[in-house]
This record gives sequence, structure tokens and C-alpha cells, in this order.
Amino acid sequence: MAADVELERVSKLYGSFKAVDDVTLAIREGSFISLLGPSGAGKSTILRMIGGFELPDYGTVRIAGHDVTMLAPYRRDVNTVFQNYALFPHMNAAENVAYGLRQDGVPAAERRKRVGDALDMVEMLSFAGRKPSELSGGQQQRVALARALVKRPSVLLLDEPLGALDRKLRQQMQVELKLLQSQLGTTFIFVTHDQEEALAMSDSIAVMRHGRIEQLGGPTELYDNPATAFVAGFIGTQNFIPGHRLGDSLAMRSERGVVFEASRAIRGLKREAHVLGAVRPENVLLAAREPSARNRLTAKVAASVMLGDTMEFVLTLPDGRELLSRMPRRGVDILPEGAEVWAYWESESFTLFPFEDLESRQGKPWPN
Amino acid sequence: MAELTADTVPIRIHRRGMPRWTMAWPALAWWTVFFIVPLLWIVVYSFGSRPGAEAPGPVALETLSFDNYRQALSEIFFRVFQITMRTAGLGTILCALFGFPVAYAIAMHVPARWRSILVFLLIVPYWTSFLLRTFAWRIILAPQGTLSDVLQALGILSRPLLILDSNAAVQLGIVYNYLPVMILPIYVALERIDTSLIRASMDLGAGPLRTFLQVTLPLAMPGLLGGLVLTFILAAGDYVVPTILGGTKGLMVGNLIATQILASQNLPLGSAMAVMLIGLLAGVLILAGFVLFVLQRLLKLARGAPL
Repeated sequence: MAADVELERVSKLYGSFKAVDDVTLAIREGSFISLLGPSGAGKSTILRMIGGFELPDYGTVRIAGHDVTMLAPYRRDVNTVFQNYALFPHMNAAENVAYGLRQDGVPAAERRKRVGDALDMVEMLSFAGRKPSELSGGQQQRVALARALVKRPSVLLLDEPLGALDRKLRQQMQVELKLLQSQLGTTFIFVTHDQEEALAMSDSIAVMRHGRIEQLGGPTELYDNPATAFVAGFIGTQNFIPGHRLGDSLAMRSERGVVFEASRAIRGLKREAHVLGAVRPENVLLAAREPSARNRLTAKVAASVMLGDTMEFVLTLPDGRELLSRMPRRGVDILPEGAEVWAYWESESFTLFPFEDLESRQGKPWPN
Repeated sequence: MAELTADTVPIRIHRRGMPRWTMAWPALAWWTVFFIVPLLWIVVYSFGSRPGAEAPGPVALETLSFDNYRQALSEIFFRVFQITMRTAGLGTILCALFGFPVAYAIAMHVPARWRSILVFLLIVPYWTSFLLRTFAWRIILAPQGTLSDVLQALGILSRPLLILDSNAAVQLGIVYNYLPVMILPIYVALERIDTSLIRASMDLGAGPLRTFLQVTLPLAMPGLLGGLVLTFILAAGDYVVPTILGGTKGLMVGNLIATQILASQNLPLGSAMAVMLIGLLAGVLILAGFVLFVLQRLLKLARGAPL
């Protein structure tokens, strides 16, 4: 039932803007993959090319081994859950779900059974007679899901379908989608700009930027071993410290002359390279007295933020930069604003990346 | 009891002060004075009789009777009414057939920034008087006119064009004049359709034709019905086009009524014809609505329940 999806050297141009730039991606059948990236990264364009709504300018799209690059959307064994649900406003929920089966000429008895099953699967059977305008956002979302899945496609495309839901409902739907996917075994391709959502649901995540795939990997791999500073910063939170590598060692000297030791440097990093050292907030520990760790700084507490199960401390370094520290709330007191502390972290949690200007490039179009 | 303060009072005044339909008053008043009242007078006149030579006013209302209706129910009235229905009906259908593709192209295939310019171009002709534009067709359609010459030069016609002062010319004039009236409401309805619905339909396996019939057309239906009714009513009551382009052969009910009122000075008979026209038009529209309703029901029955 499920099918492999392959993109081979696919590009899409809008004028001189490269929305998708030479992307090659193989998606294994039955897997749940997320395309994650900031807006304008090209993730929705890739989805639309798989669905058949955009034709690539270069490259090949294959579904289950067949070249579908030029095939019309209505001839592909692929269904989509659209960003705004795109339910037909002149039909009720059941008619919306039945629409796709009518196009295929499914006999009435079987059609009615499948529509009932699909609505039951998303727990919307009791709302079958309602028009989309009489349903809440979450309910519309479920109907849209039933409408796409009732055709039993080998690939389901989801274009930020949870974006319009409130946080609680979104988290609930994440779990339901994941369960549904493993039950059905259908290949799910999920587009999102929400890294938490991608981490929670996916077997693998393709992080996209400027029309390219920056890194492809499982949630744990991306979180623990990001390939670039962009991925490191986009997935979870990072503290970045700019500086220069000391020779070809695993240490760096910050702009203020402080030396930090890392346990890992990105492959191909040159001697004395301009680098960004990265440490996650949960690895930054605080102490009142000078700790023995090599990577340590004095800092001032600018704010203590209660995040429920964790506390986040916003620290100001002597050069004015900010450093975040996050730790479980148990046993941690709220530090008074202006308190002098030592911030430290182990070299195992510090990585050196080639320097890139993250602030100014994010969300900007690809330079020509 | 607490003292009323400046803070509490205005809220109450706002809530209770103005009923919601206050804003509708100017329009309602205008309508009542200039539309409802004259219409009622026409109805009253239709039961009156022609005044004697000495009597003041256009209508004598001493004795009310159905005489005018008896006189109006003549063979000629029904023949002209039949021609009017045919001309207006055919004109409306032609307007829909020509107008829908235009509205569709502008709404669906023209980039947003060009749309308003094209819609503007559609209504540019309305900046010239209706009368002048209709007269212009006399020049175009004249037997010695440009169109006639061109068609003869091309060998399409062997004799001069003899369309003027006939039903065909009236038909042409009606389609020409009311095409924008048909296009605009259809365009508005089509333009409001979310294009992701079209994509959703294709995604679910419907080709372009099925998508059009099952998604685009039903969603454009309010605009299409509005255009049909508007065009039909305007065309059926038209008096200028048949007068200018129809000559004696292309007569419509509007002309019949105008002749009674203006030429024959028979306001009561003209009024009776006007009332009959209104009644018959309403009857035709109700019938059309009923047929549409039945068709819709039959279609739904044929498709079967979704669940």
C-alpha cells in the first residue's frame, strides 16, 4: 500500500528566485518524514511538486518507482491535507469525504461504508451532516484528514495542517497523527516550521534552508549531531559564541580572549577558522563559586523565567552578550536579578561550527 | 443606591438608543417615495378609466373596473409578450454563454493586479449614454454600413446586410447592452472561490471538467443566478433597444405600454398592461426557480447519500 518517494536533482525557479535548489531526497515507504524549515525554505514547494500542483523546472519525481514528474494531480496515488483544510463549503462533512470516492466510481454501498469508517476513524461520525462552516478548526482538520485518507493513498502529504490549531489541540493531534500513521503504514510527508512538532512525530527530518536540504536525519541525530550552525540553532535552542579556532585543535578563543574546549568540530573545519562554538542551554550549569570545569564564565542574572517543569536563566556576559541556562526546577531557587554567578559547561557538550551570520540570513531570499 | 456616573450612562444610551436598522432608513424612505408609491398608483390607475375631455388629470377614478384588463388581454398583447419572453430569454442565455467564460478567465486566469483594470474596461462603455451606444449600432448594422461592406467584401454575404429593424437586431442589441450586467456578478462569485478548493478537488481525483462541474460551478451559482435574473428582468422590460433597432417588426411589451401611455394617452390601459407584465414576469421567475429546485433535488437523488 505505501510507496517510496524519490526526488532526483529537483529544482524549481520563480523568476530568478530558486525556491527549490537541486534537491535529492529518498523517502522510504511507510515512513514519517518532516520537511522542516523557516518560511520560504522551499518545503511547501517540494510538497506541491510531489502532489503534482507544481512542475519542477529540473529533475525527476518518482512515486513507487514510477516517474510522475509531469503527471496531473488527479492521476497520482497521493492525497493532501491542505494548510487551510480546503473543505468544500457547499458540501457537508460526509459529502466532503465521499468526494474522492465518487471520482473513482466506487460503488454506493462500499462508498457509504468507507465514508463511515473514515469519519469514525477521526471521531467525526456524529458531525457527518454538518457543513464546514459549522465545524471548529480542529473538527475541520479531522474531516480534511478523513477526506484524504478515505482514498487509501500510498502517500499522504500534510502541508502545515496543525498550524491553525491551539497548542493543546495541536499536541493531541500530533499524537493521533503519529498513531494513525503507524497503524495505516502509509508514507506521511509532513511540512512544518515548528521544530517541536517535527521532533515529536517524525522518523526522519529534512531541515531545509534556501531551497536546499541542510541536513537529513532522525530527531535524535539532528538534535545531538547537527551538521551546521543553522541546524543546531533551528532545532532546539543554542548559545553561540563566536571566535577563532586554536590551530587545528578542538579549542577556540572567543573575541574577548577566553579559551573554550570542545569535544567535537565539524569535519573540514580549517586551522584558525572563524567559528561559532555552540552549547545548549540545558548543558549550561550555574555555580556560586568558581567551578573546576575548563569552560567557565562569570555572568550576571538578567532574568529568571519559569517554564513550568524547567527554569530558564537569562545571563548577561561581561561583553554584553546573552547566555541562556536551563535546568529542572526541582532544587533550583529563583536567582535574584543582578546576582553574580559562574556559568560553566563540559567540553562534551560544546561543538565548533564554521562561522555563519545566522541573524541576517534567516528568512532572506537566496542571493542571486 | 450608587450614584450614576458619567462612565455608566453613555453605555446604556448606546445600547438602547439606536435600533440596528436605523442606518437603513434613508434608503427605505427613498424607495418608498420613489418606487413603492408610484407603483401603487400604477396599480390604482389600472382600474380607472380614460377621463372625459373636460375632466382634469390623466385618469378618472370615479368607477373602478377590470375593463382595462379585459382590453389588455388581447391577442396582440400575448403575441408581443411571447416575443418579449423569447427575446429576453434567448438574450439572457446568450449573455450567460458569452459572459461566463469571460468572468471565468478574468477571475481564474488573470493575475490579481490586472483584474481590476479588466473589470474597469468592462464598465467603460457605461460611461457613454445607453441611447447613444444603441444608436451607434444603427450605423454599424446599416445595409450600407461598414459591417455590411466588410461581410460582402469577404464574400460571406452576397447582398447588403438586412438585419436592421428586425427581431435579430433587437436580440443583438440586448446581448450587447446586458453582457456586463451578466459578467459582473459571475466574476464576483468566481473571484471569491478559494483556489485551494480547486487543488483539493484535483487532489481527490477529479479532472478539470469534473472539478468545474462539482466545485467551481456550484460555488459560482449565486452569482450566476443573480446575473440571470438581473439580465432577464432588465431585458424583458427594455424599451429603448426595440424602439431604436427593432423598427415596427421588433416590438416588445415595453413599447406596447409606452405607446398606450405616450401616444394613445391611455394611461389606464397602459397601467393595466404594466401590472400584467410585472405579474407575468414574476410568474416566469417563480416557475424557473421551481424547475431549478426540482432539478437540484433530482440530481441529489441520483447521486445518492454520501453515508
